[in-house]
Amino acid sequence: MTPLDVMWVGLGGGLGSLPRWLTRRVIGEHYHGVFPVGTFLINVSGAFAIGYLSVLFKVDWRDRYGTALNAGVLTGVLGGYTTFSSMQLDAVKLAGKSGGTPAASYLLLSVLVGQLAAVLGGTLARAPG
Amino acid sequence: MVNIVVPVFIGGALGAMLREFIMLMVPNLVDNFPLDILVANLVAAFLLGLVTALHRRQIVSEGAEMLVGTGIAGGLSTFSSFVYGVGVLMLASAASAVVASVYVVISLVLSYFAVTVGLKLGGQGSDRLSPM
Repeated sequence: MTPLDVMWVGLGGGLGSLPRWLTRRVIGEHYHGVFPVGTFLINVSGAFAIGYLSVLFKVDWRDRYGTALNAGVLTGVLGGYTTFSSMQLDAVKLAGKSGGTPAASYLLLSVLVGQLAAVLGGTLARAPG
Repeated sequence: MVNIVVPVFIGGALGAMLREFIMLMVPNLVDNFPLDILVANLVAAFLLGLVTALHRRQIVSEGAEMLVGTGIAGGLSTFSSFVYGVGVLMLASAASAVVASVYVVISLVLSYFAVTVGLKLGGQGSDRLSPM
């Protein structure tokens, strides 16, 4: 790993964090239900993108730096855009408001739909044409 | 607007670089268990809980909460690498599907616990807060 990789990761992480903040804010202004829609959509769309780009550019899932694509886009932008910490804070808040079952359902649904989105992304990237 | 965009960008950049350093420092376990991502997500979850509670008690400003919570913790934690790693392991073999399932459960349970611990630590002493 070189200083250039660190720069790509940092730049990508900063750039990816902005749409995360903006998406959560815009959704928060229009949606007032208990389900954490903002974080859910962010994570699912980020999962789709990592599946699509990894297959398209043949990047192994453990290769996270070395090129501008690995370091800047996959580790940086998508890592900065998606979030595990906010998902967990959402779950703690949801547990406080609605109980443990909705909170656990939200977490499991995020993982399940996120995985489907990643697989769908990879499948689309493999499709001819 | 600038007061939010700048801390979120800088925090996100710092968080993502910190995640990269964690990946370099944390050893890979046998069976491809992604311990590095787990550690990054756990630290971020704790940090977010802590700064959220401190902000609620008005000990830290909104700018600091944006920098540390939305920026650093958000950039440090990742869902995309987490879920993609799970997907790859799930499809690889029956044995690695078991590893992936264990990874999901451990990640979700421990990170939930880490947020709770952060919130508790940050919320402690609120009764001792009294005007000078």
